[in-house]
Amino acid sequence: MQLWSELRELEDGIDYGTPPRQGSPVTLEVDGQSITVPSGSSVMLAAAKARRNIPKLCATDTLEAWGSCRLCLVEIEGRSGFPASCTTIVSEGMVVKTQSEKLQQLRKGVLELYLSDFPAEDVEGGWSEFHDMLAQCGVKSHPYEPAETHLESAVDASNPYFLFDPAKCIVCNRCVRACEEIQGTFALTIQGRGFDSKVAAGQDQTFFQSDCVSCGACVQTCPSQALVEKSLFEGEYSRG
Amino acid sequence: MANPIKPDKSVTTTCAYCGVGCGFKAETHQGRIVRMMPWKEGKANHGHSCIKGRFAFDYYVSEDRIRTPMIRSSIDDPWTPVTWEKAIAHAASELRRVQSKYGNKSVGAISSSRCTNEEIFLTQKFARAVLGNNNIDNCARICHSPTQFGLSATVGWGAASQHFDSILQADVIMVVGANPTEGHPVFGSLLKRRVRQGAKLIVIDPRKTETVESPHIKAHAHLNLRPGTNVAVLDSIANVVVRERLFNEAFVKERCEWDEFQRWAEFVSSDRYSPEAIGAEAGVDPELIRKAARMYASGPNSTIYYGLGVTEHSQGSTGVMCLGNLSLACGMLGREGVGINPLRGQGNVQGGSCLGSWPHVFSGYRFVTDDDVRKTFEDDWGVTLDSEPGLRLPNMFDAAIAGHFRGMYIMGEDPVQSDPNQGHIIEAMRQMECVVVQDLFLNETAKYAHVFLPGSSSLEKDGTFTSAERRVNRVRKVVEPLAGYQDWEVLVMLMNAMGYPVKYAHAGEILDEIARLSPAYKGISFDLLDRVGSAQWPCDENAPEGTEVLHREKFPRANGRGTFMLTEYVPTAERTNDKFPLLLTTGRILTQYNVGTQTRRTANNRWHSEDVLEISEHDAKSRGINDGDRVKIASRFGSTELKAKYSTRVASGIVYTTFHHAETRINVITSDLSDWATNCPEYKVTAVEVVRVEKRDAAKRSKSVTHTETVPA
Repeated sequence: MQLWSELRELEDGIDYGTPPRQGSPVTLEVDGQSITVPSGSSVMLAAAKARRNIPKLCATDTLEAWGSCRLCLVEIEGRSGFPASCTTIVSEGMVVKTQSEKLQQLRKGVLELYLSDFPAEDVEGGWSEFHDMLAQCGVKSHPYEPAETHLESAVDASNPYFLFDPAKCIVCNRCVRACEEIQGTFALTIQGRGFDSKVAAGQDQTFFQSDCVSCGACVQTCPSQALVEKSLFEGEYSRG
Repeated sequence: MANPIKPDKSVTTTCAYCGVGCGFKAETHQGRIVRMMPWKEGKANHGHSCIKGRFAFDYYVSEDRIRTPMIRSSIDDPWTPVTWEKAIAHAASELRRVQSKYGNKSVGAISSSRCTNEEIFLTQKFARAVLGNNNIDNCARICHSPTQFGLSATVGWGAASQHFDSILQADVIMVVGANPTEGHPVFGSLLKRRVRQGAKLIVIDPRKTETVESPHIKAHAHLNLRPGTNVAVLDSIANVVVRERLFNEAFVKERCEWDEFQRWAEFVSSDRYSPEAIGAEAGVDPELIRKAARMYASGPNSTIYYGLGVTEHSQGSTGVMCLGNLSLACGMLGREGVGINPLRGQGNVQGGSCLGSWPHVFSGYRFVTDDDVRKTFEDDWGVTLDSEPGLRLPNMFDAAIAGHFRGMYIMGEDPVQSDPNQGHIIEAMRQMECVVVQDLFLNETAKYAHVFLPGSSSLEKDGTFTSAERRVNRVRKVVEPLAGYQDWEVLVMLMNAMGYPVKYAHAGEILDEIARLSPAYKGISFDLLDRVGSAQWPCDENAPEGTEVLHREKFPRANGRGTFMLTEYVPTAERTNDKFPLLLTTGRILTQYNVGTQTRRTANNRWHSEDVLEISEHDAKSRGINDGDRVKIASRFGSTELKAKYSTRVASGIVYTTFHHAETRINVITSDLSDWATNCPEYKVTAVEVVRVEKRDAAKRSKSVTHTETVPA
């Protein structure tokens, strides 16, 4: 949970990935650059402060870290594997590498999987965080054969102001967390498991019928414009 | 394409709805607003928003926005569209004609908390320097005037002592007569966040609001008192604080007037205010009163947030004083996490209060009767000013009926709909010979106007708002004014046409004049706000970027000390009897804003398309009322009809409704009682009876209503 002084460090146009913290200074090295951040900060935030932006989708600095998208993986000296930088807390003298061929390959793999269940016609011309990540990691297509997807799932356009298109949802949980942590209404949840997991409002109701108070926090935080303002479309929303 | 339009421009501005004052980035595409995105650096919202600010902005392009000035010689005539020049010239000559016929003081002006600080300041300058009298009032009269009075009397300034973020350091939060999750939703979310972090919550409210209970939130004490017994219950809490010696003696001795404290302590500790005595009177469990008192006093950091449920009573000012007394006695002022904070309903109620839209004070709450103060303004404005305080809003209407008040200039306010005892106001309005209404829409008041000047929405103008936390936020023009002029420009034209030459190159120059003439705003300018985002007053050489927490070392009173007021409980004259056995109280709902002028013109209506009467199942069934039946609600003053809804939020004996829809005409039934000190109407207590309307009757009635009462939506 954030304290007020941390909320006040949020900056317009910059996303540090995880909430600012107020601890004592910790110095680490990110891609050869020394950076000092408050203890309790994530590696992702430290990298952002060092202007080394690590790709991310489920992380944003208005929400606590979640660690589900697997895009923000990094290499840390002395640690095995590829820890997620959003859920890894900085420590004194830590040496972090945010770019390597292996990391690039892993991130590309993650994005290709997301892309295999995303409307192909909307890859061009989109301007969401997801599209930014595709550009940042140089991913334009995926190698997978046609398979079962969510591309035919029904759009929920019940709310007068925004709609939810499950075809664009990457199930990052940001909307659910925004509803809980920021708004405090607890109207959203992720229902089901694995491939069946989906964002649900209330007791699997439409957004309009549910307890949703239309504060807009979920729409604002959605990285893939699966939740999106209707005012950004001329006329009815249609796929393809 | 299923990809959304990408906005091509963004302007950072401030939401014009409630008093939270959220920062927004208004995004446009080819000159049209397509999205309002909460601003992460907004000090009140930190990137959060509610349905109103985030989505309900389309009213600004509503079909029924008036885009051309109009005049007519009689209110029974149809409107004639005219040029700006003609409308301004007509308004000017008519106001002057009324003044020459009925006297200098036969006209006045009303400003609104929906206007910018610059517009509010200019309206009072218009009344004082151009009309030549102090007949200037604003809508804070009907909501937070008791705040001004009650807080000034105890802690010295009629304003929130804290910044909103201060709540995140509070251990105990006491909410009195306010419903932040609906009325001030972004602050409501902050409050809930703090409660989830472990702060204790006390709610004093007749209704079981969402603040009392919602997912992961449950008030530790909910004092569901009978409407009209605030002062009794707060005195009783004070009784426990004194009798159990829970007060902060060191703080009182160091920061307050000790003699006054002793006198107050003796007063509240009388048996009359014991929890047992008051519990019976107010319908509250005495143990809950004790629990609330102990919780609040033990803090260590306890804070108070209150709303119109405190002020809109015949003892509204007394209720505010009770809160002032309590926070002083327990030492809950002067640091982070504590304080006493009014939640203001409209975006600029604090600005409306600060900037002299009152019949007795100039900006900065300085009296018109004070020769030195008046001289400052006379020197700056180059005119001689009247030393006699002017008429308050309700007195203007009374004077109209009595025959010596005949003209009004009203900017952005709809008194016919929003003020109490509607029949009386309509009768007064019919007496007027020149009413000039400046508004976005032909509102209820415009039905009685002779000149209509089309206004500009907050998205079409430059200026500032002062939010409930004293924060001066910048309002920036996002799109061009639909009718051609920003509201302040229209008023400048009228002032010039009436023979008082004024010139401002931009709204920032009016702010400079405010800063020059108002000590608390001394350091505030467009430059400062562009640089630091926003600033809380007082802002001067000692606090160049503003002041977050007031009263840190002393109170802004002559001797620097806080004081205690004796707050005797005097029950309202509005009582239940056999004929009117239920108590009606009114409030707000999340999706609608105030009298609904803006939100009723948006899709927010899908959630709340009419006002409904919340009634307990017990009271309903004993009257043969089914859930959803149309009912007639009658008071000593009038009656109206609406739909009944069974509710567990209200206790038996109490009914509740909102006032967002003109069709409901709820102010037809509210009483003409008002706060003893400030005339703030007692909207929160009306004795009523509710009866089911036969279906046949209802059909007939609703037909006639469609013909006469429907507001364009």
